[in-house]
Order: sequence, then structure tokens, then C-alpha cells
Amino acid sequence: MAERGPRIEIAGLVFGVAGLGAAARAWAEDRYGPFLSRRPQTFGVRVRATERYRPGRSPRPSATWSGGRFALASYPSRAQGDLGRRRVAFRAGPGPALNPDLFRLLCSFLLMRAGGVLLHASAVVDRGRAWVFSGPSGSGKTTIAGLAAERSVLNDETLAIRPGRDGWEACATPFYGSGGPSMARANGRAPVRGLCFLRKADRFAHERLSPADVVARAFPEVMLPKRDQRVTEQLLETLAALAAAVPAWELAFTPDPALWSYLDGLD
Amino acid sequence: MDSIESFPVRRSVPWRTLDTEALVVDVKGGLLYPLNSVGARIWDLCDGARSVDEIVGVLAAEFEAPEPTIRADAIEFIERLADAKLVSIERRRKGESR
Repeated sequence: MAERGPRIEIAGLVFGVAGLGAAARAWAEDRYGPFLSRRPQTFGVRVRATERYRPGRSPRPSATWSGGRFALASYPSRAQGDLGRRRVAFRAGPGPALNPDLFRLLCSFLLMRAGGVLLHASAVVDRGRAWVFSGPSGSGKTTIAGLAAERSVLNDETLAIRPGRDGWEACATPFYGSGGPSMARANGRAPVRGLCFLRKADRFAHERLSPADVVARAFPEVMLPKRDQRVTEQLLETLAALAAAVPAWELAFTPDPALWSYLDGLD
Repeated sequence: MDSIESFPVRRSVPWRTLDTEALVVDVKGGLLYPLNSVGARIWDLCDGARSVDEIVGVLAAEFEAPEPTIRADAIEFIERLADAKLVSIERRRKGESR
């Protein structure tokens, strides 16, 4: 018989997960361990492993939102949610019951509704404030996270950014990249010091970006399908607010620990 | 494109102005089109009330460039917006209501 499962907290969203069998619950508690929470749930997620894998071309992930309901798909798993009742029916395909791809999409959608974004980015906390590094695969997000030394890494691949009490905050997520689980060892958060869009180079250089440049560069890095009018309108609004509040640069960098003193000089 | 009888109309897509620039999203392709200040002004003027000829007139009054250059650039830009299905082109005679 399925039993009540863990609560998982990501960027202030607390998911109460139900419907997991004993083995799936043990897997979820191990996979999302640093993000287990005792706080009251903000969304109930009922998991059922019902979706079958079917050979053939996979449809692209999707996110649609109409009225108080939403539907997400990351083939073959899918979720349907009711924003008013704060409930999500999570129908997983073969593999982990709390499929990380669909769970990430669910986090991204609900974070967008809360005025934040789930960004393809790494973040390192230096003296209490987070430097956020974004860019496509291969741009150097994990490389920079590897230069953190004694500084804490919030993630090397997937970062939540949302408005907090004292401005925009960078929040850890359990959705790590090529750096592996060590890049998602703690559920930390920190005010954002700055946002850098990365470019690998043989020396350091930077250029301050206009708000429009920031939105244009961040838009493709938001981990949310952008084919729904309402989702995209909300996303533009959120990114514009982020761009207005947080300084951002294009950063050309070389993997050198001198990076941190270079960042101190950005204006 | 007949610049007198062609009236560009923005389609219902998500877009946003930031300072003098604009960002327009093609939701079918999931793509974002950043527009510079001239592109953003043209986008703003594509409201269906102005012909291409009238848009060129507004731009010529606001930007310091030869009118033939502005005309050629504006027509090319509007055609690109139409190709991307971000604007539609309504054909009607001047003074004819929509």
C-alpha cells in the first residue's frame, strides 16, 4: 500500500509527496535528501506510475496554463495541477517515481507563478552574496562552480531565482549538472550580487548588459517550455523585473581562481 | 509591398518594451526576438492604424537618416516580421476603415 511520503522544499516551495511505495520513497529521500523539509506543504503532489514508454519520437516538453489549472509534460511523464486546491497529479513513466525531469518542470512552473524563475545557471556564494553564472551548455557554469574553493555552491546547472524579503535571492535546487550530486549538497540561498552570462576565453573581460540584453540572454536559459502565451507573458514580466533590479554582465573568463577578485571589480 | 495600401498589424504575441528596446516572443517556435530602438519603434507603430508609408513618415521625423534609407530598412524589417508571423499585413485603401 502506498504511504505518505517526504516533503521536499525547493526555493520556498514545499512539496508534500504522496503515493510512493517503500522503494520509491527510499529513492526519493536519497535523491532529494538535502532538500527534505519539515515545513508545512505548499503543494500536494500525488505520484502514480502510470505512463508507459512508447518507442518513437518523443514530443517536446510542454507547459500550458488556463484558468486555475495547468498541465505539464516531459515525455513520457506528465502532471496536471489545480492552483486553487494546490494539488498536483504526477503521472510518472518508467524509472524514478518522482521523475527529476518532470519534477524540475513542475518546480519551474510554480516558481514562475510565484514571480521567480528556474534558470540554467550555477551560483557561488561569496561573502554572503551569490554570483549567478548563466549560459548554454559548455559555457562554463560547472567550471566556475569548480573554482569555488571554500565558497558554497548553490548548484552547477539549475538555479532558482526569486524575489525575497531583501531583493532577489538565488536558491539551491536538487537538479545538478555534470558536477554531480556534490553540486547540490545543501539547500542554501543568498541575495544575488550579480548575474553573469558566461563566455570561455583566455583572459578575463566583461561588459555591462542593458535590461533588454539581460532578458534576451536569460529567456532561452529559463527551464520552461515557451509555447504558451500566458506562461511567456508572465516570464517576460519576471525577467524584466529581475533585469531592472540585478546588475548583469557578459563575462569572458578563464578557469583561474583570480576570478573572484576580478568579480569584485565589476561595475 | 505597396507602402500606401499595406497596414501592418501586430499579432497577439507576448512582447515587452524595455527602455527604448523591445522583446517579442514567437510562442509557436518558443523564440524571442530582441528589437533595437528603431525596430521597437516600428513594432510599436504596427498597430493597424498606419500604413507602411505613414510609418516611414513617423520614423523619418524621429530618426536622423535619409528617407530612402529609412523606407528601405522599414519595409525590409516589416517583411521579416510578417515572414515570422509576428505581424499580419492588411491591404486597404487610405481612409478605408478596418
